[in-house]
Amino acid sequence: MEQLAERAWRPHQACEDYLSEFRHCRSFRNHFHHYYTYGTAPSCQQWKEDYHNCRKWESHKLAEAKDALQKSERRRLEEQKNFTPVWKLRQAPPGDWHRPLD
Amino acid sequence: MQLYKDRHFSCEDCDGTVSGGFDAATSQIVLCQNNIHQQAHMNRVVTHELIHAFDHCRAHVDWFNNFRHLACSEIRAANLSGDCSFTNEVSRFNFGLKAHHQQCVRDRAVRSILAVRKVSQEEAQKIVDEVFDSCFKDHAPFGRIPHGNKDAKFAYREYMNRDRYYANL
Repeated sequence: MEQLAERAWRPHQACEDYLSEFRHCRSFRNHFHHYYTYGTAPSCQQWKEDYHNCRKWESHKLAEAKDALQKSERRRLEEQKNFTPVWKLRQAPPGDWHRPLD
Repeated sequence: MQLYKDRHFSCEDCDGTVSGGFDAATSQIVLCQNNIHQQAHMNRVVTHELIHAFDHCRAHVDWFNNFRHLACSEIRAANLSGDCSFTNEVSRFNFGLKAHHQQCVRDRAVRSILAVRKVSQEEAQKIVDEVFDSCFKDHAPFGRIPHGNKDAKFAYREYMNRDRYYANL
């Protein structure tokens, strides 16, 4: 039963999406924008690896592929949060957001 | 966060060369109809102000008393709205390439602060420098800096996948 649940896991996006991210990352346009923003070339290798791991999981259900993919996605998510916020986040939108104007 | 164009947008005539603003007191985005003449400019201003609205809705931003909060939102708006794209900078005769985007974001954030608060250039610069590293990295809600339509499309795709995302990590 547990094995069934394991095999039912799916990557967070279609494998083709990883490939399209890789191609987009490698495009001239993206290189230009990355240099213009950071002064360096982008590193795109991770997208390619994620694509291969995604395909390995879909074709052969390899546990290592799934683990590698999950690890990569978690790392990506962490990188997005890699800063100390200047403000405190709300639990709900401001009460007066929809308040009628006079 | 739901926006209604009749409630949350207001087209007005403005002083000087200001293009728009976000009024936290009334929860409204103000668009300066006398200073916006091109569609591309309009798109940019709306995106810029929407980022302020987004920050207002998702965080306790003290617009009036906390200059660090104000600076942070201005950094994010300049960073994520396309204000500092290469073409826009060239059209302002600011020719820079290597990491110029960051310089532009700093400069425009300072300008935005000076436009709405009575502080000196040095003070505004100091506050922007203090919060820059943190706020420049905050790419919410895009997850990346959208430099063009493809970036925006991919960011949207990630957003639509988000439930599947969190369930599978």
